[in-house]
Amino acid sequence: MEINCPDVLLDSLENGHMVVDENFIVSYWNRWLSINTQIHKDEIIGKSLEEFYPEINYRVLQRKIKTALSIGTPTFYDANSSKKFIPINRNKVTTSSLKLMQQQVTISPYIVSQNRVMVSIYDISELFEAKLLIKKEMRTINKLNEKLEADREIIDKNIMVIKTSSTGIIKDVSTFFCDYFEMEKEHLVGENISIFKVADISNIIYRELVQTVQNKKSWNGELKYKTLSGQEKWFQTRVLPIFNAHGELHEFSAVCHDITNEKLLAQLYITDSLTKLYNRAHFDETINLLVKHKRKTDIDFVLAIVDIDHFKSINDTYGHQVGDEALIAIAKTLKNSIREDDLLARWGGEEFVIMLKNVTLEEAKNIIEKVRVNIEQSVINNNIKVTASFGLTRYIFGEDAKEIFKRVDDALYKAKNSGRNRVVVK
Amino acid sequence: MNLEFNEDQIDALREFMNVSIGAATASMANLLDAFGTMHIPKIEICNSDELADKIEASIDSNSMYFVIKQLFTGKFGGECMFVISQESALNLGNYLYNAKNSSYDDISDAVLELTNILTSTIISRLTQELDTQVQFFVPSLQFLDSTSVVSDDDVAEYSKIIIISTVLDFEDKQIKGNIYVLTKDKAIESLKILIDKKIEEIYG
Repeated sequence: MEINCPDVLLDSLENGHMVVDENFIVSYWNRWLSINTQIHKDEIIGKSLEEFYPEINYRVLQRKIKTALSIGTPTFYDANSSKKFIPINRNKVTTSSLKLMQQQVTISPYIVSQNRVMVSIYDISELFEAKLLIKKEMRTINKLNEKLEADREIIDKNIMVIKTSSTGIIKDVSTFFCDYFEMEKEHLVGENISIFKVADISNIIYRELVQTVQNKKSWNGELKYKTLSGQEKWFQTRVLPIFNAHGELHEFSAVCHDITNEKLLAQLYITDSLTKLYNRAHFDETINLLVKHKRKTDIDFVLAIVDIDHFKSINDTYGHQVGDEALIAIAKTLKNSIREDDLLARWGGEEFVIMLKNVTLEEAKNIIEKVRVNIEQSVINNNIKVTASFGLTRYIFGEDAKEIFKRVDDALYKAKNSGRNRVVVK
Repeated sequence: MNLEFNEDQIDALREFMNVSIGAATASMANLLDAFGTMHIPKIEICNSDELADKIEASIDSNSMYFVIKQLFTGKFGGECMFVISQESALNLGNYLYNAKNSSYDDISDAVLELTNILTSTIISRLTQELDTQVQFFVPSLQFLDSTSVVSDDDVAEYSKIIIISTVLDFEDKQIKGNIYVLTKDKAIESLKILIDKKIEEIYG
């Protein structure tokens, strides 16, 4: 059934609708407008809008009316404008961002022959408030972004960071990283991270690193690297797995910190400055720790003490400089005669100590006998021949460091007193 | 879906656009007392990912722009876009609001009003020529730099876009703006059908 009562229809709409002509005379004012403006239709119909709303720019309104009538299409006011077509108070209590209703005003041709248009007012306050809120949030986000960008810049210039894909392909590196490693970013990106693996670092460390990150856990440890100019560097490195929103491994991020100086200092602290072997303090600390913790694998060792025979006469005959050269040469011979895992240190003066790990006393005796022969056969400074005496003993479970040292000293004493250049086991 | 236009269709569309632009010039003279010229429209069909570059190339990269976008729907639907530099917009605001230094709100409303007249006339006249009707939607106004007029992400879902563009020039008032009529995929097909129907009517 066709509806023939437009007044009722327009009254039922939740928007404001008025009909005006090009002289702004109101010929229709719907219920929504009556309620929201507190101007009843009987008050305004037949009168000019100017009487009620003198602040409207009527020159512009007239132009818009003319446009709508002339082209036959609606014309619009800017919905974001801070100027309101007609001020309507907004009674929302829970927010105060909009005191007046934000309006979308459309002027549509109505009865063109009578130069009448329909002015429709839509309440877009909620939408506008949301826009304002987004704008406000965007300002906050932009500020945070600026801060983040500044922080990123600081990180980029001052911290070594490298990012790789989950398969180890380098995705990004910080400027500081590139500068430090003397490499170009464009040469690094796309390469596999394994280019940083150096041959002389323990495979155990790499295996541990790879296994840890493959298990999606973070890894923390020390890594060594040689720069392009040949400098050896140590890094404290933290590798973090980064996950995507679904919890899948997305990439790795590694932060490196140069600990080369700390490493050098630590090395200096435990090294004998003349022979470059470990010093007594380090040997003492190690043996004390071993006997304290009593771990079965650690306390299976044989201790040897070495004393150069008649060393005083080398100093007296050739001078202290040659004496020092002799100590350096003997240290080298000792080091080359034992296994990498054994611990060798300068005990003081012309004495050295050796901890032979995981060997029987018989095996140890054979090793030390070879050491003795190597020293005997070596020629120092082209013409100096030396020999050494050796005391040897096995660590007995439960004893302390003093006890084993007492026993090995006794063995050495016996070797000295029984003609020197020999190995005595106790 | 064949989205290419043949020569006859292009000729016809260019002719309809000439008529529409003529009508828009007349509307402006009548409604705004502004006597401007509009260039012969350029019709291009491009891939959607080329749109941003094409628009960026047709405007000065150093200016900020008021960008008004208005949708229209019907058998032939699309989007009308008017791009006007900040400087031209200020001159327009001053002219339409009879002020020396118009407020931002006045400038926005003036730009909107000019767009209204231009797009309504051009599209109404074009669709009138094509014997169809369109419905206009509320226009949106943004203030953007030249690279942000069209975002690549926004148009990525379309395949082909028709760009009908012209330049509006009020030399005496130092107001210049670019108008683009954009339509895509299915609407291009509808437009081709409407043009073919019209050609058939005219030439039998």
